[in-house]
Amino acid sequence: MLDYFLQQLIFALAIGAIYGLIALGYTMVYGVMRLINFAHGEFFMLGPYVYTFIFSGLIGLGGLAPMLDSAIAIIASFVIVGLLGVAIERFAYRPLRAYGRLAPMLSALGMSIVLQSAVRVTVGPQPVHFPAIVPSTPIDALGGMVTTVQFGILVAAVLLMVGLTLFVNGTRLGIWIRAASESWTTSSLLGIRVNRAVSLVFFIGPGLGAMAGIMYASYYGIMQPTMGSVIGLKAFTAAILGGIGSIPGAMLGGFLLGAIETFGTAFLPILSFGYIGTEYRDVFAFAVLILVLLFKPAGLLGETVSEETTVAKKDY
Amino acid sequence: MNRTRILLSAAALLFTSGAMPVLADDIVLGGSAPMSGAQAEFGQSQIDGAQLYFDQLNEKGGINGNKVVFRPLDDRADPRQGTLVAQQFCDDSAVIGVIGHMNSGVTMPALDIYSECGMPQVVPATNPELMRMGFKTVVRPVANDFVQGALPAKYVTEKLGLKNAVLVHDKTVFGQGIAGVFKDNFEAGGGKVSGSYGTNPEDVDFSALIASIKLENPDVVYMGAGMPQLALFLKQMREQGLKAQFIGPDIGFTIDFITQVGAVSAEGALMTFQLPPYDSSPELKDFSDRHQARFGRAPGPYASLGFANAQVMAAAVEKAESLDRAGVLAQLHGVTVETLLGPVAFDENGENTTAPMYLYVVKDGKFELIKQ
Repeated sequence: MLDYFLQQLIFALAIGAIYGLIALGYTMVYGVMRLINFAHGEFFMLGPYVYTFIFSGLIGLGGLAPMLDSAIAIIASFVIVGLLGVAIERFAYRPLRAYGRLAPMLSALGMSIVLQSAVRVTVGPQPVHFPAIVPSTPIDALGGMVTTVQFGILVAAVLLMVGLTLFVNGTRLGIWIRAASESWTTSSLLGIRVNRAVSLVFFIGPGLGAMAGIMYASYYGIMQPTMGSVIGLKAFTAAILGGIGSIPGAMLGGFLLGAIETFGTAFLPILSFGYIGTEYRDVFAFAVLILVLLFKPAGLLGETVSEETTVAKKDY
Repeated sequence: MNRTRILLSAAALLFTSGAMPVLADDIVLGGSAPMSGAQAEFGQSQIDGAQLYFDQLNEKGGINGNKVVFRPLDDRADPRQGTLVAQQFCDDSAVIGVIGHMNSGVTMPALDIYSECGMPQVVPATNPELMRMGFKTVVRPVANDFVQGALPAKYVTEKLGLKNAVLVHDKTVFGQGIAGVFKDNFEAGGGKVSGSYGTNPEDVDFSALIASIKLENPDVVYMGAGMPQLALFLKQMREQGLKAQFIGPDIGFTIDFITQVGAVSAEGALMTFQLPPYDSSPELKDFSDRHQARFGRAPGPYASLGFANAQVMAAAVEKAESLDRAGVLAQLHGVTVETLLGPVAFDENGENTTAPMYLYVVKDGKFELIKQ
């Protein structure tokens, strides 16, 4: 039974890491702009498509060392998807900023449809095989089995999260972001260029989403234009669970949602003697979300509610 | 003035009837399947197969001297679009027969509409229920899911001697239905089903489920689901070292299945399909060559079925006393015809009395027919 538990824990960590990375994008954008960026799931979807495009381009040009090609393609997808995020904020959200909360949110929904349809039209709607970046070899670990891909996902995700935390807490640019999310008006009065902070957030968030997309595609071996919809909703849930606006909260929420889902699938049928099947996994995950919201509306690590954020929350 | 009016109405006629103007004694037949979207590969192959047969027929002078005009419409595998297509065919009095639809879920709501307007219908969809709903306007040359679930159950219990199965299905009409059929036949063959698990149709992560299936230690896993779920499940199953025999239904019979799972992990997986491979008989080889010559590509998965369905429809039209829906309908159920896929004759429900089913195994990255 302990083996079984450990095995499930490994699955939970791998999927939780991916949820966490995507949730960071939601939470950072919300933190700075009080906007739920519904197009965020599409940045996740674009990641593997951009990666494949660059990677096969490099191979087509003759290619360098195999690992180097992948590395270049990964960095390029971060940058390209990040820049796309900045451009979308600049042209689809910023002009609507003066028109309340609803207009940018609808614009985000529209962007989501545009991006998804664009990929569907240009690449095709069918799922495409995505070759794993590292070959998937099972390793025995503590009675459970970890594949190299799962291990790679976990290591990469944790590195990205640690990197982000250091960046936000330890650099001048990080101070911009924190200041802008604390109070928009005060920081602009103090000489912080809030729009730069916004652009920065819209570079990092989609970039991290793209990284999560690449991990996800190499984990499951496929990519498809609709892959961002469901996973985007799950990651959004993770962000709420951890407390939207809080960076450590998004990470915690991601891992927690992964654990709830995995252990729900693994133990519900056993605990209920087969009456509740594995198809109730999502029901279980969302039920936990409702409970957290009922008893701790700000989420697990949600910021202490200041006057400004209270106003913001009322608006929704 | 008069001349412009004639020209205008001629132009209008051209627009309403597609590229080819329909002459008074042309035979217009409709066809519908998904020609865009995720299942386009399957749907388009049926349409191509039917088109190939009608082209061939027209070269020889058509049916009793009348040319056949085949009019395919896209239903996008969407039940709502399917009913619109059905209505469109019904409203056009020139259309005297329809081959369609490919998906059971699309066919079911459309049956009612076709039956209302007395449209003779040859159905390629495979859900057993379709022929038991009491509609008198339909026949089905292809084998239904009772046959599809039964064949692999018999094979693994009798030939491979495997007795302990786990079922996984995606809770859809098709997936849950076919898993149930497999279960009944597997148990009848002396096997034991030690677990049945439902998943969501869009799930991609089965790792937690597979870990708990591993505790049952099954030697067979039957999965009633769609793509890419079949491929994802098998891939994750092999990654976790679950060595059980994997069996899936017709939707997995595509090269995408093998590329998505990876040739090594897919090795040995069993898949049922309604059609024989294109190199299994001289007629099919000839069909394959002609398909290549006509469309510039090898026939897709359901091309030979489209061809055979067209043969059935044409046979009914040929015997019809009047070239309208009622005339064709009167002959539809009584048709006996030697098609590309073997003899076809219908029972009282409109099911083919001798519909074959084939079992394939993945070997060296290809599907290979298992000889019975």
